[in-house]
Amino acid sequence: MDYLRKRTLMALSIILMVSASSFGIASYYIRFHNDAADTAVLKKGQLIANTGRGGQPACVNCHGASGEGIRAVGAPRLAGLPIGYIEKQLQDFARNPLKMGVTLDPIAHDYNKTPRVQVDLTTLTPGVRQRDVMNAVAATLSTQEMHELARYFNSLSYNFVALPSDPETLERGADLALRGKPEYGVPACASCHGVDGQGVGAQFPPIVGQAPEYIIQQLNLWQTGARDNDHMALMRNIAEQLTDGDKINVAAYFANMSVSSAGEGNAP
Amino acid sequence: MTSIYRLKFIALLTIILGSHAAFSIELSGTLDPLEVRPTLVNPQLSLPTKLTEVYVASPGEYFAPPSVADIPNDKYGDMVRMGRDIFVNTQTHAKRYVGNALTCQSCHLQEGRKPYAMPIWGAFGMYPMFRNKTRSVVTYEQRIQDCFRYSLNGIPPSIDSPEMAALIAYSHWLSRGVPVGVELPGRSLPALKRTEDPSPQRGEIVYATRCAMCHGDQGLGKKSADGSTYTFPPLWGSDSFNKGAGIFRVRTAAQYIKANMPLGQGFTIADQDALDVAAYIWIQDRPKDPRVGYLLDFLLPRTGAP
Repeated sequence: MDYLRKRTLMALSIILMVSASSFGIASYYIRFHNDAADTAVLKKGQLIANTGRGGQPACVNCHGASGEGIRAVGAPRLAGLPIGYIEKQLQDFARNPLKMGVTLDPIAHDYNKTPRVQVDLTTLTPGVRQRDVMNAVAATLSTQEMHELARYFNSLSYNFVALPSDPETLERGADLALRGKPEYGVPACASCHGVDGQGVGAQFPPIVGQAPEYIIQQLNLWQTGARDNDHMALMRNIAEQLTDGDKINVAAYFANMSVSSAGEGNAP
Repeated sequence: MTSIYRLKFIALLTIILGSHAAFSIELSGTLDPLEVRPTLVNPQLSLPTKLTEVYVASPGEYFAPPSVADIPNDKYGDMVRMGRDIFVNTQTHAKRYVGNALTCQSCHLQEGRKPYAMPIWGAFGMYPMFRNKTRSVVTYEQRIQDCFRYSLNGIPPSIDSPEMAALIAYSHWLSRGVPVGVELPGRSLPALKRTEDPSPQRGEIVYATRCAMCHGDQGLGKKSADGSTYTFPPLWGSDSFNKGAGIFRVRTAAQYIKANMPLGQGFTIADQDALDVAAYIWIQDRPKDPRVGYLLDFLLPRTGAP
């Protein structure tokens, strides 16, 4: 434990020196300043979410007035999702998939051979999601506006009521969610998304509190490649191994949990 | 002739672009629910993982443990359930024996079922066994005690403790139908090809690109949303295994990484990369080996070198 002791001593001394000089003044200033800036971000995000802009539909049209999602449209819950996750998805929606790392030779010189598709293997693609509506909407947003929207939806409260299913489906869903398919090399959902599916950080979103239709739809998109924006193709490789029955079972399992959050309460 | 080839060329282009344009190829008809849907019907644009040789696990090749739903509803079943609770939530159900933040299934993945992740069903029939580590024949109970002493950095439960009985019951239930003394496929860890010396410098790069997103930039793991448990276990630091653990050995860690990491992409990493990143993990700070004192821990060369 030598290293811990050394680091603790160093950290303590540094904290003492800094705090004696400036902690009192600086912290109050920073807190006040951040609060004001944060409120402005929230207000701007709310404005874009509620009214849309330039002929593009508002977010609330499909995702619900408080970001709770609308099952009939297939729009997911946005309320309470991590800021970094929403931002990344909007950036990936905004990319034009056809401009990514692939060049087609305009003239195939030897017609006896397959036309050459040159892929730059040294560059990993930053990720694309193909959904017509969201591609068009996200293309009009600036990076700052994406952040404002993400911050706004992150602050909202939500209440997801569990959907009932038959015990056999839930049992199979639990088997996949907690144990995966070891003989196929498929890890459990819980090993990355958390035991309750609450998600970990910006990379692993919560899957609890989403409609089962949305989860199945996303797994299908991973399989077809229309959604392809994960680090090292982690989720894509897993989705490839799932059967249609697996998708139904696991979606029913996660939709069978109630989850709610009070949000921040002081959202404008 | 030329026009025919041009037609073929256009048709090919259409197929390649088809996945992105409006006229994408849709799968039609019904699928057998047991059949895995082939994904590469549509050509893909990004291909980071398809280039490496992927190990194909064929179902039926490995022993299939019984389903949790089939645990019998009797005293034996209660013991099995308790053992499974300890195995999965070691921090909650065997707290007094554990000195770090790991659980049994941090290493024995998917509740001790995954082949080549030291599955319980692969080990149970092999004990008692001679171990080089202790230079003696050890029983299954003594092996579990070593897990608590080194990998969980704690105090081993005594052989007659209820926790030990429950873990034995769970292992026994998971290994139903396993022959005694037979090395099953998928047992323990896979072999590594001989490579050049591992380099922690190269390993640091591998760590940053392939491991850091889950295990954190500092290797300290990541906690679940409510902060109660680690979803991604710490690889070093005071919450991780100590220097006496088997996985502290560079070769063992590399074998484990090769077969299981990143999750869902086992056998995609090169042997050399696995060894490099294992060496990078090996040089980090972690709790000392309980078999040596603080002075010797400081003075002696590290064990587990490649």
